[in-house]
Amino acid sequence: MTTAARASRYAGFYLCLAVIAVVFVGPYLLAFFAAFKTEAGVYGTAPWSPPHSLYLANFTTVLNRDGFLRFLENTAGVTIALTAGQVTFGVLAAYAFARLEFPGRDWLFSLYLATLMVPNVVTLVPLYTMMRQFHLINTYWALFLPYLLGAPYTIFLMRQYFRSLPSEVFAAARVDGCSELRILTRILLPMGRPIIVTATLIAFVFGWNNFLWPLIVTDSPSKQVLTVGIAGLQSYFVSHWNLVLAGSLVALVPLLAIFAVFQKQIVRSIQLSGVNR
Amino acid sequence: MGLADLRLPSSVAPPAPPKWRRTGRRRLRQLATAGPFILPSLAGVVVFLLIPVVLVLLLSFVKWNFLQPPHWAGFANFVTMARYHHVFHSLAITAYYVLWNIPVQTVIALALAMLLNRRLPGMGLFRALYVLPYMSTPVAMAVVWSWLFQAQNGLVNRLLLIAGLHGPNWLGDQATALPVIAMMATWQYAGYNMLFFLAGLQTIPSQLYESASIDGASGWQQFRRITLPLLNPTMLFVLVTDVIGSFQVFDQVYVTTQGGPGSATEVINYNIYATGFQNFDVGSASAMSLLLFGVILVITVLQFRFFRNRTTYEVS
Repeated sequence: MTTAARASRYAGFYLCLAVIAVVFVGPYLLAFFAAFKTEAGVYGTAPWSPPHSLYLANFTTVLNRDGFLRFLENTAGVTIALTAGQVTFGVLAAYAFARLEFPGRDWLFSLYLATLMVPNVVTLVPLYTMMRQFHLINTYWALFLPYLLGAPYTIFLMRQYFRSLPSEVFAAARVDGCSELRILTRILLPMGRPIIVTATLIAFVFGWNNFLWPLIVTDSPSKQVLTVGIAGLQSYFVSHWNLVLAGSLVALVPLLAIFAVFQKQIVRSIQLSGVNR
Repeated sequence: MGLADLRLPSSVAPPAPPKWRRTGRRRLRQLATAGPFILPSLAGVVVFLLIPVVLVLLLSFVKWNFLQPPHWAGFANFVTMARYHHVFHSLAITAYYVLWNIPVQTVIALALAMLLNRRLPGMGLFRALYVLPYMSTPVAMAVVWSWLFQAQNGLVNRLLLIAGLHGPNWLGDQATALPVIAMMATWQYAGYNMLFFLAGLQTIPSQLYESASIDGASGWQQFRRITLPLLNPTMLFVLVTDVIGSFQVFDQVYVTTQGGPGSATEVINYNIYATGFQNFDVGSASAMSLLLFGVILVITVLQFRFFRNRTTYEVS
């Protein structure tokens, strides 16, 4: 093959990749454009034409809408609480399953694995009735309590990773008389960092995006979360797309920022979760 | 017995306790050590997963609207869910959705992985851009999509107009609403699944392809005889997890169509939500979620069977 032919083949290849990238990035970009246009601009210009200037009034209008800032606060609070609990209790359980010996361990672990087969929707109605029974409907507790004590999926991921760490280190620490708690903080946390970051990201994204459960357990705006607020935007700002899209970006941008910072970890963490070890 | 269980001999050895008591004591000690680590998560699994699974079974046999006390209804809910909540229609709609979503999504994911599986500059950047949609909040992205697919002035129909075509009212038309929602999910998860295929492709030794091309195998033959069979474990993982997720689609439907137009997008999860939390028919909603559980379980088992029966070649 001549150099020219090879160069044109490469150009074609990269052009193909770029076109695909436009499809995946496009919806974000168009939403950004529209969120910075006036209403006349959204209807008067093509969706793919960038805004003339950074018109910020859409965002201030949406955030000043009664309750919207509250939705954002609620989502942030619930997501942080959920993530902190799920990772803390998850690490503890995963450590016990991976590195401690106790009667019934393997049996219990199979039970955790079996719960992975249960689709979320199966527990929806009974969980709601339980929350009602305990008068927790429309409280912050209802929003994060069911997820606070750890998720079997991330416990499974962390247990697999913890088991792959060299066992000599743990044995040496025990011989030196380290308590299990000390082993956990001094050895496991530093060595298991990649998978703990993974578990943290999984929990955070789950909490941030969660919709159906918050939708049914809250009905007052003071307790509702961002996703529920956004689902109501279209009926609140009927066909004011500049405002509706600005509101959606309030939810989309934080995850984009996280992706920009943790891109490598996220890609690796997704791949870690797919490997059957 | 481990090294840690040996006691130092004292000058006057006390009579050794019977063996069962020693192992019993060791087990107690192990439980005391492991307890604090395991109990919080175990409490979570029992209270928020196991008890609800038992409860949903019980609830599916009672009539209850959250207000009056529940009463035993036998199998009445299973009749009601079919007769008044058209559960089988919903199940068919959901299956139709899964068929629009999963095959396209999986083929695209595999194609993207094969495209990016080479040592060239910039592959990391494109990989990141393709995974980006996975990081979007489904509810918020569904709002963006319903704007793009508007009948008038939506991006898609404007582009079609340039080509001289009149696009339909995508989300307001019974024929197109469900495929558009499926396309939305495909857009969101294709890049995510690509990552699994990329990881799978990287485990295939390149010598296999080299010797195959020496033997004169075409690119398509290499794909059929080497790539696909060796990707079987990845394919199983991707299909099982995606099908389970796809059967539970809700957020996008809630935002874009609320089950409409007519009942064209009334997927089963939306029906469960409407039955349980808008019509307050707790029993029927429970019965429906049990039915969905059963369907997902059967399909998952079938997928495992299908992939186990296909030969995978051990590579040494």
